[in-house]
Amino acid sequence: MLFIFVAGFTQCGANPIDRQNEDRIVFEKENDNIENEFEEFADEFESEEKTSDPFASYNRVMTRFNDGMYECVLKPVGKRYDEAVSLQVKESIRNFFNNIYFPVRFVNNLLQGKFSHTVQETQRFVINSTLGILGFFDPAKSYFKIEAHEEDFGQTLGFYGIKGGPHIVLPLLGPSNLRDTISLYPDALLSPLDYTEQSYPTLTDTWAEFIAAKSLEEINRISLDMDNYEKMKNDAVDLYPYLRDAYEQYRKKQIEE
Amino acid sequence: MRGLYKKILLSFLVAFMAQNAAANEQVQLQNRFLKKIDEVVLIVEDKKLSKDARNRKIVKALTPMFDFELMAKLSLDGAWRGLSAENAKKFIDLYVERMKNSYSAKIDAYEGEKVKIKKIQQPKSDRIAFVTDLTGKENKLEIVYKFYKPKTKIPNKDEWLIYDVEILGVSILKTDRAQFREFLQTKSIYELMDALSKQL
Repeated sequence: MLFIFVAGFTQCGANPIDRQNEDRIVFEKENDNIENEFEEFADEFESEEKTSDPFASYNRVMTRFNDGMYECVLKPVGKRYDEAVSLQVKESIRNFFNNIYFPVRFVNNLLQGKFSHTVQETQRFVINSTLGILGFFDPAKSYFKIEAHEEDFGQTLGFYGIKGGPHIVLPLLGPSNLRDTISLYPDALLSPLDYTEQSYPTLTDTWAEFIAAKSLEEINRISLDMDNYEKMKNDAVDLYPYLRDAYEQYRKKQIEE
Repeated sequence: MRGLYKKILLSFLVAFMAQNAAANEQVQLQNRFLKKIDEVVLIVEDKKLSKDARNRKIVKALTPMFDFELMAKLSLDGAWRGLSAENAKKFIDLYVERMKNSYSAKIDAYEGEKVKIKKIQQPKSDRIAFVTDLTGKENKLEIVYKFYKPKTKIPNKDEWLIYDVEILGVSILKTDRAQFREFLQTKSIYELMDALSKQL
């Protein structure tokens, strides 16, 4: 396009028809260059897999529903919550929930043979549950410099080569795919938040307790991450494919790690 | 036999020199990149500037390092070929403006994070990627800056230019390609340009 600008400046006094022809010639030349550029960068997009999307119509509707829920319910509630609760308290609540999901991370790190991460996750849980006062603080990271290693069952299946399958947008939970949706079940079995009586101790035993705990976790997370979703939305020309592609790329990266 | 030795020695020498030249280019680019980051941080921390003036100054400082025009073309992929000269120029202008706005919005969230290059990749002689960590008080964000070296230097631009940025594995270019491709399956390029202009 630079050629067009240069041509525009240097041909100021030329006949308009000639100038138009020159513009066309310059653009055609430019188009030849872009063919070369496309070829040069083709390798960048070789791995660009087209996401399997047989449920596209449903997914679009569910994305609109989720976005509506976010705009009309979650965002206003999140804002009120944000005004009422200090940042330190919000971070402590996030730390608490992160800490209780230790069994999910422990088992999935182990299943992927990431033994040093499994050990570090155990160290984090012990330190944060004791020195970190039931996990409300994260001295494992701030003092002992032990990083968290997020792993879930979807990543474990991905690690063993299982593809994501069709993209599915879940109500309220947002973008997912068949592999990650199925994986919610084994991860839920490892979660201490549950809605029925189990033979092992859990933090919640009824639907009411479960929904209350999950709502607190979500509203707290939203109030901390509100800006990120807004910024993503601003970059989207069409929200559904934008979120779908961002999700699939993000999961691919998590699995590769 | 002596000829064979000479050939082997020469190929070793060429390989060594090429490797050395690549390493030098990486170091030079790394220095320029970190210097640019320092320059941007200084502008961000200049409390005398208004938000708009600050963002304009940052975008001006960064523009020579980015090939927004190439990003615009690659984002449209095959659809680019069907554009008239006038629409092509209009699309590039809109895309570039949108990128600058998006970048400015992200600068507003800056809270003293530090940038550290943790890995340098050079998949080809004319491609370099800096894998960086943006470390804040709480979180660490992996950002990959992908550079290429145009065959002929573009006026007013650096020698090496950024053509894509990946944030936590999500590529700006790939995401745009996907959403534009899908948009253009049911709508026209004019509608896409309308949608882009609404984002400004």
